Amino acid sequence: MGGVTVSGLSKAYGKDAGVRALDDFSLEFPEGQCTVLLGPSGCGKTTVLRSIAGLIEPDAGRIVIGDAVAFDAAAGTRLPPERRRLGMVFQSYALWPHLTIAGNIAYPLAGSGLAKAEIAQKTEAMLEWVGLGGMGGRFVHELSGGQQQRVSLGRAMIGKPQAILFDEPLSNLDARLRERMRLELLALRQAAPFTSIYVTHDQLEAMTLGDRVVVMREGRIEQVGAPEDVYRRPRTRFVADFVGIANVLDGTVRGAGGSSDDTVEVDTVIGAVRTRGWLGARAPGARCTVAVRPTLLELRRDEQGEGRIVRSVFQGTSRLDLVDIKGTRIAVESFAEERQAAGTAVSVRPAPGAVFALLDD
Amino acid sequence: MRTLKLERPGLAAVAALAIVMVTYPVVFTVLRAVSKDDIGSAFTAEWLVAAVTSPRGAEALLNTAIYTAGSSALAMLLGVGLAFLAIRTDMPGGRFVGVLALMPMLVPPFILVVGWVALADPGAGFFNIVASWLAGSRTTLVDVNTMPGIVWVTGLFLTPYVYLLVAAGFRNSDATMEEAARVSGAGPWKLLRTIILPLQRPALLAALLLVVIMSAGDFIIPSTIGLKARIYMMSSLIWQNSSSFPARPGLAAAQALLLVVVGLACIFLQRRALSRGARFTLVGGKGSGATVFALGRMRYPLAALALVFALCSSVFPLLAVGSMAFMKFWAPSAFSLANLTLKNFRYVLFEYPQVWPSAQHSLLLALLGATASVLLAIALAWYVHRSRGRLAGALEYAIVLPLGIPGIALGIGILSAWILVPGGIYGTLWILLLAYVTAHLPVAMQFVASALHRIHTELEDASRVAGRSALGTVLRIDLPLMRPALIGCWLLMYVVILREISLVILLYNPATVVLSVGLMDVWSSGFYPELAVYSLLLMVLGLLPVALLWKFARFGAEPERS
Repeated sequence: MGGVTVSGLSKAYGKDAGVRALDDFSLEFPEGQCTVLLGPSGCGKTTVLRSIAGLIEPDAGRIVIGDAVAFDAAAGTRLPPERRRLGMVFQSYALWPHLTIAGNIAYPLAGSGLAKAEIAQKTEAMLEWVGLGGMGGRFVHELSGGQQQRVSLGRAMIGKPQAILFDEPLSNLDARLRERMRLELLALRQAAPFTSIYVTHDQLEAMTLGDRVVVMREGRIEQVGAPEDVYRRPRTRFVADFVGIANVLDGTVRGAGGSSDDTVEVDTVIGAVRTRGWLGARAPGARCTVAVRPTLLELRRDEQGEGRIVRSVFQGTSRLDLVDIKGTRIAVESFAEERQAAGTAVSVRPAPGAVFALLDD
Repeated sequence: MRTLKLERPGLAAVAALAIVMVTYPVVFTVLRAVSKDDIGSAFTAEWLVAAVTSPRGAEALLNTAIYTAGSSALAMLLGVGLAFLAIRTDMPGGRFVGVLALMPMLVPPFILVVGWVALADPGAGFFNIVASWLAGSRTTLVDVNTMPGIVWVTGLFLTPYVYLLVAAGFRNSDATMEEAARVSGAGPWKLLRTIILPLQRPALLAALLLVVIMSAGDFIIPSTIGLKARIYMMSSLIWQNSSSFPARPGLAAAQALLLVVVGLACIFLQRRALSRGARFTLVGGKGSGATVFALGRMRYPLAALALVFALCSSVFPLLAVGSMAFMKFWAPSAFSLANLTLKNFRYVLFEYPQVWPSAQHSLLLALLGATASVLLAIALAWYVHRSRGRLAGALEYAIVLPLGIPGIALGIGILSAWILVPGGIYGTLWILLLAYVTAHLPVAMQFVASALHRIHTELEDASRVAGRSALGTVLRIDLPLMRPALIGCWLLMYVVILREISLVILLYNPATVVLSVGLMDVWSSGFYPELAVYSLLLMVLGLLPVALLWKFARFGAEPERS
């Protein structure tokens, strides 16, 4: 056993292989953990997943599942999908409409050499486990979207696969159901940890479900880390955007600050700020990019302030103010109720430790 | 994104064979048309020149052009008109008219021929008898043995094909597009002119080209009523030049080549129209809420008119054939109780020596041909749409060829090739089977491919990941899901093979005669009550499996999953 290891995976599509879906992608998916591949559509995350499943043949690289080599371009090893002992949950659920719910779930067991009674008993247990006990005789169209998704999960789990692949499994559900299924999935995983590889473009799903989050961009890994790490310390503007950080500002390094806490003073439109992050050794005067979350900024009415309220929007639990400072738009989110009048003079200050520098890209 | 290549040598070989199968008839037609004697002799242009310039050839060209233009125009008018009235207006009985309009697909074309002879023969036609009775003297109101007469019968025969192609578009047009036009100030007529019909343009063009191909190459009507009226057309001349003494196979091939050129040009234009159309006719297709046009005071007059046309294409001819079958003789005085008899049934079913051997041949060929076409279509559709093998592109191009080749011309091509193979299948039932499968494979493949398209590839992926091999996935997932469509496809193949005549009229011999070809013998005997029984027998044999399997089949394109 031992999870899934992918190394040097490349895949190009289209005319003269002009579109590089995957570019020398290497990653380990540790046993028992949930690794989330996060990125916008076209970033290559689904290509990784389908390559592991054997539904796509990469141009180069090597895939090891458990202790078996499933794919090795150099050695010519190509294990067909049915021999990779995986489970997969599809975005469209991919349930077979001509089979019953029990028939769908039991499908991976047929041909496993198990006795009929044993298959029936395992199927019933799995139905119970995904919360659909007694519904095995129904057909797919009689089930709601959430129930269909659970059947899909049951089918993926029943064969005790080496890993379960999730291809944007919740994106066909409505927002409320999506939240419930997300928490249910988390509960199932905590009850019995299984190796899972989860593809999504939803950062909330990634943060909730992932033991580790892999942000992808144009066929490469942009950042790997624990959800908290990626969320708090994005490396690049791309990752910052993707985990919902609205404010990315240009700045100039003023000078190394206290070397003890590896922070640096940076001049920005909101004044001089102490910055953590991916600065490395930058000389004073160097340009850099810093990011700060709208919730970690403090807005104050200030006659001398250089900011002007452009728009103030009531959002229910919070208020979002768009502020213009010397031509730069900054979003500030606060738990205040009353809206600000447009044109109000304000100043904006970050909370301590809220600003961090990004790698240039 | 499906890039897992499953290049299977077996499938690739089948694909290569299919490409050869649909291509060689064209090649051999060309070769035969430019050879002085058999293929291999000196080249000559004399046949091609004669096909265009000889008096009979030029006459046939002109007649075929008039016939094609007339019957295509009539079919378009009736097909589009009935579809619009039935689907998009508040005409009473719209659903009923819609069903009636499609009936001729179930009724073989020679029922239409015999029926319209019974209805509109200048002497004993029912309409003329009624007219004479009303006028008090012999009156010929309508005469089927004229160019307008055969245009009328052919137009009726082609109407359901237009209706089918256009009705789908009328039914599925996106209501919101029309609502947007209404809100922007378009009244009903402007809406029809600027939105509804332009959106249907690809479907209309495709329907027009289809009926042009079908009428230009139609065999049955030109060589029955047409020859009786001495109106010579390309298809009936090809038949005569190929099989009557003295045979001129070179001339027949040259004339077939002219039809093939027209047919393939139509197919090319049709494909282009449909592929261009795809980008704006693939709409949401909720259907509900699309504008219903109010006909106002014209509701009932239009309903009556639509009903009459719809009845003309199936119910009237069927009634006429049905009553003719019970007549001792058929003449202006035939409508009396004394003229009733069952002896036509006894004669045709039990005494006519040719009927049972040919019925056995027909049934055997229809069962084998339908099964072979469907199996081959499954393999080819899989190869093109799932494996995407190396030959997939070539196969997709080649497979449409038979659609543009009229049956009689395809017969010429197959004949020209196999006559060169000593000890081959020429003169056996196998050559008929080959011809049937060649001619109908494109339709079978379209049918199967559209069923395959409706199966989300993730359903197959899920089966692969769940441990089933590619073949196992086909057997356990794809075939069960496609079963209704496959049964529908099989029934369609069975019915068209059983009634097919133009394709085999040049390929059969006395030992391999089939029912539909035997019909031509009965026609030339001129005894119409027996002809009526014979054509009813053919219709019943054709509809029997349809009636048995109807409820397990699916013909339309309704979605697979609810």
